[in-house]
Amino acid sequence: MRVIIVDDEPLARAVLREHLAAHPDVAIVGECANGFEAVKAIGELAPDLVFLDIQMPRLDGFEVVELAGTRTHYVFVTAYDQFALRAFEVHAIDYLLKPFARARLDAALAHARTRLGGQAAQAAGLQAVVQEAAQRNTPLTRVLIRDGARVHVVPAADIDYIEAQDDYIAVCAGGRRWLKSQRLSELEAQLDPQAFLRVHRSYIVNVGAVARIEPTGRDSHCAVLRDGTRIPVSRSGYARVRDLIR
Amino acid sequence: MYGVFATWRSTRLYLLAWLMLGLLLAAMLVASGADWTASLLFAVPLAIVYAYATGYSAYYVCRAYPLGQAPLPAIAAGIGLSAACVAAFWCGMGMAWSSLLAAPQLAPFLAPMFGLGVILYGLAVTVNYLVLESERVRRLETQELETRLMARDAELRMLRAQVDPHFLFNSLNSISALTALDPPGARAMTLRLAEFFRHSLGLQAGRKVTLDTELELVRHFLAIEQVRFGARLRVAIEAGADALPCLLPPMLLQPLAENAVKHGIGRMLEPGLVRIEAARAGSLLRILIENDVDADEAGAPGGAGIGADNVRRRLRAAYGHEAGVRWTREDGRFRVELVLPAETETEES
Repeated sequence: MRVIIVDDEPLARAVLREHLAAHPDVAIVGECANGFEAVKAIGELAPDLVFLDIQMPRLDGFEVVELAGTRTHYVFVTAYDQFALRAFEVHAIDYLLKPFARARLDAALAHARTRLGGQAAQAAGLQAVVQEAAQRNTPLTRVLIRDGARVHVVPAADIDYIEAQDDYIAVCAGGRRWLKSQRLSELEAQLDPQAFLRVHRSYIVNVGAVARIEPTGRDSHCAVLRDGTRIPVSRSGYARVRDLIR
Repeated sequence: MYGVFATWRSTRLYLLAWLMLGLLLAAMLVASGADWTASLLFAVPLAIVYAYATGYSAYYVCRAYPLGQAPLPAIAAGIGLSAACVAAFWCGMGMAWSSLLAAPQLAPFLAPMFGLGVILYGLAVTVNYLVLESERVRRLETQELETRLMARDAELRMLRAQVDPHFLFNSLNSISALTALDPPGARAMTLRLAEFFRHSLGLQAGRKVTLDTELELVRHFLAIEQVRFGARLRVAIEAGADALPCLLPPMLLQPLAENAVKHGIGRMLEPGLVRIEAARAGSLLRILIENDVDADEAGAPGGAGIGADNVRRRLRAAYGHEAGVRWTREDGRFRVELVLPAETETEES
């Protein structure tokens, strides 16, 4: 079994390494000290199992899962996190509480083995846990976008608008576009409703980036951004704009 | 015994005042032609009897009509009625007493005596209201003092409990790792942790500690965190020799140091510095706590919220407007500056 250990504390990685050494079928193929390395390593090494610390700089454990995908199996490791623990219990996600006994680690490992063999999917539960974690962080102050092995962190305040494109959304900030696989309505629910407005079925716009609203015909409008971009505004979108201004 | 009879002292003072009134009454009788012995024998016992009659009845009347609760006309009517009754009773007593003594003719004095009785009763009521009011104020003061003490105790308990559970469990996890890798290191870490908790549990609410003591706690804390974070956490503490004996509320700096690690260094990928500087400038103690922050960290400076509010509240409680706290974020550094009056054990009044 190919395993990656992710924790920002060297000693925390050491204790996992020590305990895993007792299992000859486990090969530690990577150790990461932060979320960015983890996303990259999970993408490149495709491990069977990831021991993932939750509290890490820049990207926490949930954000790593959000970016790296739910194909891999994860065992979350945390010192103390009441909310997450409840979510883990509800969705039957494996976790370890620091400090943990070897027996506890062995049990988690055995559980992962049966899951790997039986292909019982952890994905649905994982997605639910990740989404609940994102809910706790709302309104979002930044949007995470994975671009191959790289991760872009786009501050929410820098975003001009977001456009839905087939199965993707395009996040546009300062003239650059990033594609992300997420539903527009999901992101809309996570952004600050005072700052971001769904002006159209396919568009969310940052109110701060709008220069003016222009009529484009009878009953139709468009938002002109500071950089000149024109965004269509639907009739219900226009009503929302007016509500916000009032 | 209640009201003016609550203590011996007030009873004596009260009776003394009435004795004077009795003498005054006797003098008035003498002035109207009666002889001294008869007048004294008549007036003084009558005054003392009236002292007790008004003292008790006024106390209960005041209790029955507390100021500011019962409507004013009701109070006036109640007091007026009881004053009239007691004064009439007094006049009756006077009549009986004078006929018993077969002394001065009271009949011409009855009207002024009734009037005097009512006025004296009014005075007694006023005295009783004053006594009740001062008792109420004293009770309120004690109550407020007690609640303030309780609040301070609760606050310190809360601050102790605020020592982040992450800190405790992560430290234990580090010890767990060190027991195999570096047993002496594990022992050192255990001792540090014990020292930290012994120190913070030994603090007493309201008892200020020296900056030296507080910095010791902060050093233990940061040393433990350095074991966890390794090279990522660098620490620099500088304090002037004249600043060390200065007093400050306990656990004032530790939460700030904790924030600096948790929201500053803990969120950085690169190594970062936590710097604490304390200096005394005349009558002021200046303390600076500064930490690197992640350059890309979006949003508000993390942790300024609760931690800083807490510090501001505690400074306000301890020093009023003489102390202040200010936090800024610039050039990738988050800094909290405290200014408080420099007090030491000996200078403190």
